[in-house]
Amino acid sequence: MTSFLARALMLSTPLLFGATAEVFAQRSGVMITAIEGVFVMGAWAGFVGSYLSGSHLVGLLFAMLAGLLTAALHGWICVYLGQQQVVTGTAINILALGVVAFFHRVIFGVPISPLQVVPLAKIDIPLLSSIPFLGPIFFQQNILTYLMYLMVPVAFFILFRTSIGLSIRSTGENPEAVDVAGINVKRIRFSMVLLAGLVGGLAGSFYSIGYLGMFTTNIIGGRGWIAFAICFLGNWNPIGVLIGTLVFGLAEAVAILMQSSGTGLFPNEFFIALPYIITIILTITRKSFNVPASLGIPYNKEN
Amino acid sequence: MNSKFRDLLFINALAVLMGLMVSGIVLLFLGENPFYVYATMVQSITSDRYIMAEIFVKTAPLILTSLAFGFAFQANLFNIGAQGQFYVGALIAVSSSLFLQDKLPGVIALVVVFLLTLLGGGLWGAFIGYAKAKYQASEFLVSMMSTYVALAFMNYFLRTFLLETKGEYPQTDPLNPSVWLGILVPNTRLHVGFILSILIAVGIYVLLFKTALGYRIRVVGHNADAAKMAGINEKKIMVITFVISGALAALAGFIEVNGVQHMLVQRFSPGVGAAGIGIAILANAHPIGIIFASILFGALQVGGVMLGQTMGIPSSFVEIMQGSVMIFVIASYFVREQLEKRREKRKLKKVVAA
Repeated sequence: MTSFLARALMLSTPLLFGATAEVFAQRSGVMITAIEGVFVMGAWAGFVGSYLSGSHLVGLLFAMLAGLLTAALHGWICVYLGQQQVVTGTAINILALGVVAFFHRVIFGVPISPLQVVPLAKIDIPLLSSIPFLGPIFFQQNILTYLMYLMVPVAFFILFRTSIGLSIRSTGENPEAVDVAGINVKRIRFSMVLLAGLVGGLAGSFYSIGYLGMFTTNIIGGRGWIAFAICFLGNWNPIGVLIGTLVFGLAEAVAILMQSSGTGLFPNEFFIALPYIITIILTITRKSFNVPASLGIPYNKEN
Repeated sequence: MNSKFRDLLFINALAVLMGLMVSGIVLLFLGENPFYVYATMVQSITSDRYIMAEIFVKTAPLILTSLAFGFAFQANLFNIGAQGQFYVGALIAVSSSLFLQDKLPGVIALVVVFLLTLLGGGLWGAFIGYAKAKYQASEFLVSMMSTYVALAFMNYFLRTFLLETKGEYPQTDPLNPSVWLGILVPNTRLHVGFILSILIAVGIYVLLFKTALGYRIRVVGHNADAAKMAGINEKKIMVITFVISGALAALAGFIEVNGVQHMLVQRFSPGVGAAGIGIAILANAHPIGIIFASILFGALQVGGVMLGQTMGIPSSFVEIMQGSVMIFVIASYFVREQLEKRREKRKLKKVVAA
């Protein structure tokens, strides 16, 4: 049971990173529909960095940089050129998948057995990790999961208790007013997209170096979209995102458990599809969204 | 030809060229000369009748998935789940074909399969449209997520009910030739589905631009408030749009199964939905433009396969080409907007001067 819950928590980590990244970007008015591409790039760059240098730190830096560049392209087209966000994201997702598969081949050729790196080590927090039941769940995790604990309160504080957070939220609600107040709307939006790229790249790297220790091109398989959905379902709020993320982490851990043990009651495919089914049900049943008013609408001064 | 349309053609062509140039850069990492590679590609896809026909074989499903996105886009709705509706269509087409092939004469069986596919895709789409209309559920989240559900369904059926008699691989038995779509050009794989998809594109054009329903769909897309004031039932339009959109994507599954593969296998045309979105953008969501843009993407895909066979270039190069062409085309919308603005200004100046 403890190892099952520990795994659920671990699997929540990248989703929380990705969904929090989306919260910041979407609160400012931009949907990172390229999130799947950002995840894939992060996963790949993280793997390449770790594999070639032997250092996880280099891998994580690579992942953040790759996520940043991917998001920058998205942000440039959506914020500065004012183009449609959904289609831009789709294009970038295709491109990212192609780039990753192509350069993986260029760098590594076609290896006989999949290349591997040692996954990020689990760090036992002294004292805390020996608390019965809770210790092994919360305090025997890798560095990224510990970072997740910090992320929720920090994100909440920045968004709702600082003037920067106020500017971000106002930019998504009423960009004209923000503009009149002398704040550069496009700059705020673009910075939020870049921030989301950094965090999203890190999230992607969790799948390659944080957990599996290897890379395949289908490693993300829609997880970016789930993070995107969690941002919606979590009401664009870091606390809501936390709840959503834990539900999905749990669903994913159940899926892995069921696939390995196999009760025979439900087919494996059901558990693979479960997170997506949950998303659909929640998207339909959830009410009273506080959607940022100008979400998805490019801002142009002249208009 | 009005100046707006001229801009569209000229700037799109430029964007496509630039997209191909930029994706050519990655070939340098393989030690290949991009110009030589592209020359080889053009030569290899035009040298042989069979390969040229392959371009149109690839084009046919792309036209349909692209229409699926483009049609919903006209109503300002995002159906980014065409891939899933494509799987649903393929699944229905293969199972109904397997069931009917011994019971009905070929042509009648095909008509029934066609109708069942339409129905299945339409219902799948109706669910998304209804969730949007009734519960304000974000249609692109629901459509995206339903793709993964459709994929799980397909894999489940391939492993169980539809598993081949040999039971070796997760795939179906081959279909009887009686339920194959007829071949158009002897000694190629080009089948009737290509003509069918072109006819459907024309039909969608007529529906959108020459009928009252199409007008309503476009009004809802252009200005939802105005639509409401004009007494258009916006919710009904949303559901109808998604029914048609889902049916279109499902048809792509039908023509791939009955026209090309003649069976259903795992990992079946994984990029057909996403490419459809790119094509719709390239064509400005116009049904007739979609035909030509699909031919371009079909040519890129066949070209990519040929490059893999003759020069050993990884197949992912196709995705790079498609992705960067899409990005340049999207960016070129900005250029067109600027040109349009400048033209308006000049017009205004002329009026003021006179």
